[in-house]
Amino acid sequence: MDNLSNPRRRQGSPAASDSQMGVGGTGQRLMRFAGDFFRVSKGERSEQVAGYLTIMPALFLILGLTLYPVGYSIWLSLLEKHSFFPQERFIGLSNYIYLWSDPEFWSSFWLGLVYSFWTIFFQIILGVAAALILNEAFIGRNLIRGIVLFPYMIPTIVAVILWKWLLNDMYGVVNYWLVAFGIVQEPISWLGADHIMFSVVLMSIWQFFPFVLLTILARLQTIPEKLYEAAKVDGASAFKRFIHITLPQIRGILFVVILLRSIWMFTKFDTVWLMGEGAGAGRFIRTLPVYAYMRTMTYYQAGLGAALAVIMFLLLVICTIVYFRMFREEADIG
Amino acid sequence: MKRGILIVILILGMTSFAWGAEKKVVRIWHTESEAQTIAAFQSIIDEYEKTHPDVTIKQEGLAWGDLEAKLTAALAAGAPPEASHGQAITCASFYQKGLLRDQEDIAESVGKDNIFEACRNLCRFEGKYYGITHSPNTNLLIYRKDIFKKKGLKPPKTWDEFIKVAEAMTEKDAKGRVTRYGLSLPGVPLFVNILMAELTNANGGRLFDLKTGRPTFTEKPVIEVLDFYKKLNDKVLPPGWLGHGYLDTFTNLATGKAAMVYQGHGRSAGYIEKYAPRGMGTPEYFGVMIKPHGPSGKQTAAQIDAEPWMIFKNSKYPEEAADSLKFFFTEGPYIKYLHSVPVHLLPTLKSVRASAAYQDNAMYRRWTEWVEMDYYYFERDLAKPTLVVKWDDLKLPFMLEIFGSNILVDMVTDAVRGMPSAQAAAKAQERAEELITKLGHKRW
Repeated sequence: MDNLSNPRRRQGSPAASDSQMGVGGTGQRLMRFAGDFFRVSKGERSEQVAGYLTIMPALFLILGLTLYPVGYSIWLSLLEKHSFFPQERFIGLSNYIYLWSDPEFWSSFWLGLVYSFWTIFFQIILGVAAALILNEAFIGRNLIRGIVLFPYMIPTIVAVILWKWLLNDMYGVVNYWLVAFGIVQEPISWLGADHIMFSVVLMSIWQFFPFVLLTILARLQTIPEKLYEAAKVDGASAFKRFIHITLPQIRGILFVVILLRSIWMFTKFDTVWLMGEGAGAGRFIRTLPVYAYMRTMTYYQAGLGAALAVIMFLLLVICTIVYFRMFREEADIG
Repeated sequence: MKRGILIVILILGMTSFAWGAEKKVVRIWHTESEAQTIAAFQSIIDEYEKTHPDVTIKQEGLAWGDLEAKLTAALAAGAPPEASHGQAITCASFYQKGLLRDQEDIAESVGKDNIFEACRNLCRFEGKYYGITHSPNTNLLIYRKDIFKKKGLKPPKTWDEFIKVAEAMTEKDAKGRVTRYGLSLPGVPLFVNILMAELTNANGGRLFDLKTGRPTFTEKPVIEVLDFYKKLNDKVLPPGWLGHGYLDTFTNLATGKAAMVYQGHGRSAGYIEKYAPRGMGTPEYFGVMIKPHGPSGKQTAAQIDAEPWMIFKNSKYPEEAADSLKFFFTEGPYIKYLHSVPVHLLPTLKSVRASAAYQDNAMYRRWTEWVEMDYYYFERDLAKPTLVVKWDDLKLPFMLEIFGSNILVDMVTDAVRGMPSAQAAAKAQERAEELITKLGHKRW
């Protein structure tokens, strides 16, 4: 319903003023809102009040569960605070200054980038490829569609135990087969310092690519078959059909999937923590979320832990804004 | 009107009666998460609850590595359990922060002189007990006796001799691939922290200056420990040992993948009986040796694994927790608990060790040699808790934070991955000094 066909909007209801708020500062907007509010009849005003009251609980929930924790984290990051003892001191930006010169922070930042980049890259490649295959008709397709979702449904702790078992250098089945087939001479210490990043990336790809598969597959199923038929008539090869039909059709959802997976992988804690700290060589996969946890829960420096969390939050906000600017069209479709 | 008032009074009365009848829930966290110990502990709880109908005890078995973080979270949330196991450094840290109820009454009830000397300093400050251990044992050097004899080896007295023994016990196949490693060590942070302090002790060194609290990682004995780690890593350990857990090392020993473990415990005996090849799961095949000492040390050292019970004074029912722990230490229930892992859970109380009921356990008798080794360390005061080289280290207010920061673990990792020992030590020293300063404990 547009503004012209909606009598209440024409009368200058808050909704109507929202649509006109392209210019002017917050003060102007508030004035306009107050003017609108008092201009309407008494009956309409009480209807409006009722409307606001109904959204109040949701608003409080959002404020309480989202904005308050973020705000509190920011406040905490300005304190020197013990994690469980009630001692705290306001130190301004000292925690941030400290982190700037902390080699562990930069190492964690780098490890986090490496982990996020490779896991996202291969999740997308594998997820899209698997979705394309599972979008084709073949016998047993439904069964395979169910099976490929298993990794995503398994609890992380189970997946980690499973992979640690498979990759164990003394009795793991992966090394057994590698040696048996003569691919390697000595078992590889997959969970040792040299290979643990590779192992956790591999495990994460395995665990999370079904999410990409599922979302892309859902989109593929809505692409009109007529488009492909027309392209076939025109003699387009399978590759060209993918480039000119499939890819443009899925780019909106791909935009969202990459965004979500980037946020989730950059802040991924459980998989990395369980693979690393219990196994010993955890230092080599000590990503930012793990480091933030350690600062808070094992160094007992809640302020520094919060500063790390805020930095992660800001990095993600900045990256998301840049991402939206770079892919405006996809963002609109997505 | 009168009837209405009467109804209200009745309802209020019934409600308050219901409140009055509500059970006191005492939460107890511990690190003995093996199924048979949880079952034994539960039967002790059931027995206690029979005579204390107003109390419900809820036990929770936690993994060793999770305990400190979980306690921290609970304390931060203002909801600590009534009682919990903790490492000696945890107990000391919590005492220094004023979080613990003293346990003098429990010590009196079990008899102060009845507590083994080795267990008395784990969490006792200004003459008062703030933690009494549920059970002590030490970590052991366990070796394959059959291979040792076959190779005609002699017990090593120094670290260099030990490496030679481990090399001699390593086996390779025709293609030169290692089929049995000389040694298996856990790479988990907790155990690296433990061994770092233990080896420093066995090398006559220290990790902190007791007067100022300043780290002493760059001192010669500590650097020699790192050199020892390097040699172990290069010569006798599996290449992926940093990724091995504590239980992995038991498996490696029991299944013949390793000839020795340096951080074994009585618990290993159970794994050996269960998983060693048929006919081999006995003390005739798996023995214990006195650990060697380092080039700057004169005597050996071990770690005492003995988590004290802590009672949080800000929990809801600390008195009930204390009362239930007094019951736990009475002979019948306590022996039931100890017998759930007989060679590992040794008694805190002298009277229990001497009791016929306690000694009447087949597994305990089978593995007496191992138990005697624990007492060898206890009786000579050679065993110290995690990260502690001298008992007075427990008075340092930042030990828990040093432990949690993994600074020592990173130092060992740096060294075994090729960084010169002195450089790895200097790097760790700088980090530790920075952490201690930031915590407000700098005194140098």
